[in-house]
Amino acid sequence: MIKIFIKKEVNIYFRNLNYIFLPMIFFFLIISVFPLVLGPDKALLSKIIPGIIWITVILTTLLSSNNFFKDDYDNGIIETYLTCDISIELLLFIRILMCWLFTCFPIIFFIPLVSILFSMSFESTLTVFLTLIIGTPILISLGLFGSALTLGVAKNNILTPIIIVPFYIPVLIFSASAIESANSGLPYEMQIYILAALLALILPIMPYLLKYTLHISINS
Amino acid sequence: MDNIEVKVVLASSFIDSQFIFKDLSMHLKNRDILFVTGKNGCGKTTFIKSLCGIHRIESGSILFNKISIYKQNCDLKNNIVYIGHKNSLHNDLTVSENLKYLSEFDSSIYKKNLSQEICKLLDFFNLQKYKNYMVSKISEGNKKKVSLSRLFLTKKKIWLLDEPLSFLDDDTKNLLEELILRNRDFGGITIASTHTNFLHKIKDAIFLDMNT
Amino acid sequence: MNISKIANLRFFFINSRLLGFYLSFITLILFLFGIAWGLFIAPKDYLQGESYRIMYVHVPAAWLSLQVYIFMTIAAIISLIWKVKIMEIASIECAPIGAFFTLIALITGMIWGKPTWGTYWVWDARLTSELILLFIYIGILILYSSFEDKRQGSKVASILAIVGLINIPIIHYSVEWWNTLHQGPTVMKFDRPSVHSSMLIPLIYMFFVFNLYFITVLIKRIRLGICHREKNSKWFEDYIND
Repeated sequence: MIKIFIKKEVNIYFRNLNYIFLPMIFFFLIISVFPLVLGPDKALLSKIIPGIIWITVILTTLLSSNNFFKDDYDNGIIETYLTCDISIELLLFIRILMCWLFTCFPIIFFIPLVSILFSMSFESTLTVFLTLIIGTPILISLGLFGSALTLGVAKNNILTPIIIVPFYIPVLIFSASAIESANSGLPYEMQIYILAALLALILPIMPYLLKYTLHISINS
Repeated sequence: MDNIEVKVVLASSFIDSQFIFKDLSMHLKNRDILFVTGKNGCGKTTFIKSLCGIHRIESGSILFNKISIYKQNCDLKNNIVYIGHKNSLHNDLTVSENLKYLSEFDSSIYKKNLSQEICKLLDFFNLQKYKNYMVSKISEGNKKKVSLSRLFLTKKKIWLLDEPLSFLDDDTKNLLEELILRNRDFGGITIASTHTNFLHKIKDAIFLDMNT
Repeated sequence: MNISKIANLRFFFINSRLLGFYLSFITLILFLFGIAWGLFIAPKDYLQGESYRIMYVHVPAAWLSLQVYIFMTIAAIISLIWKVKIMEIASIECAPIGAFFTLIALITGMIWGKPTWGTYWVWDARLTSELILLFIYIGILILYSSFEDKRQGSKVASILAIVGLINIPIIHYSVEWWNTLHQGPTVMKFDRPSVHSSMLIPLIYMFFVFNLYFITVLIKRIRLGICHREKNSKWFEDYIND
């Protein structure tokens, strides 16, 4: 069963390469706009790069999770989810992971390139890498939650981001500060542990929460 | 043959305090076929959705084997197939991939020789040549056929079909009739909403007119 | 009188009319008295002078902004689990009141900040988490208002409110932690001397009055919500025609 679910997700992402490439291109586009606006001052850029990376990542994850359930809702697949007799939580969990794997992981993969662009040290590149690996699944699952909440609204392009961004703040604070600590040679383990704790809190709950929200959302 | 019964007692539902349906009661047992008829917007879809638990009724009760369908211990979900008027197909998967994926949602389908079963099903519905077509490329009628073809595989007893006849040609309507009659022979219950076209072979169907 | 009777919309609507009227009258009187007490009778603060008196509005508003949120979530949980209709309305009608208290707390905080910190806004932990609370309130309100079916909207907004309640402590502590990390030299820290009872009693009194105000407005808003939702139902028309 798990194999078929994974295979279906992989098929869909590979047949729509846009789902994979658009977030990545968007990420690089936005991140290269910052030096143009702020000036090419190396000291300034390396000081604010954690903020830049994380703001761009937020925009990107919002882009890819905004209307995540919309197609399935229009096709009636959500109704099938909710009237079937198998564990839909497992399916939703797989879908969260796949969404992360195909939209966030390519970005994380190219982080070394960003570190060259902004001449970051090895230590801070490593921290960016770590915080992104732990933080982005949280962002994606919260984004999917927002997308499930706004399912019943006809025009919801900007609605999900407005609702969800306040919930991103803890992840943002700890990630950005971990990178900053690493930049200035301070220990940053604590922030990473807190991020991991948030992830461990959210990831198991999220499928159940998504199922409940979809149930409420569809009852219209 | 397991005994199954679906009982609706004085069910009402409303949106913005306008009734969609009011004080509806019915009682279905094994081998019953129910056609829900009525004009557009009279609440056929909502009624069928409330039978499968997607829509929650405001008052009254829906009982499956004497247990309310909103209770945890109700095994309604193990017994129903709901096919809405949306097709429930992924546009980016082929017809056979879609059928394989959809049958994962139905634990009554025996998965061992699924591929052969799907072949048989495609033969039955004359869809063999579309087997490897993307769903986005085939016509609305064929999409409807693919989505209804789940009924061929399932061993569940209660079929809830919302507007199964739209977009279908006469041949396919006959095939659907055959399937519904087969379900009755196995002791199942079929509930379908239609607005005008009735199926002619089924003589002893019960009609529920939602207009009144 | 059992719970189901109080939870009955019709019963509430008919009986709350006079209650709302009296409550708003009492609240107004008590509020005027409390303002006079805070502004003129309570002693002057030896450190901050007269400017501290805005605390009599700021502190209760800030307390209420959280208290209303908790109340909203409790109502939301009751409405989702037991399908109590009046709690559905109460929960969503709390949101604008809470947002209002949050806004009051922010604005008075800024006004107080000017003479005390020399600037209207500092990214202080409390102000920042209050601002985020305002955004969460706004998110709930926007989500609710974008649904055409208001019952559906209030259910979905309830889920958001409940998830928000889990999130608020996390946000609060992360912001506090962030603030200690970035503590700038310009921010003055006051030692907290134990507040003298001549200042504390009017403060608690104002907290009580704000609570009364919350209850009054909530009752009126629930009545309004019932008007919106039940405008087509039979009992409502019968009641209006009487």
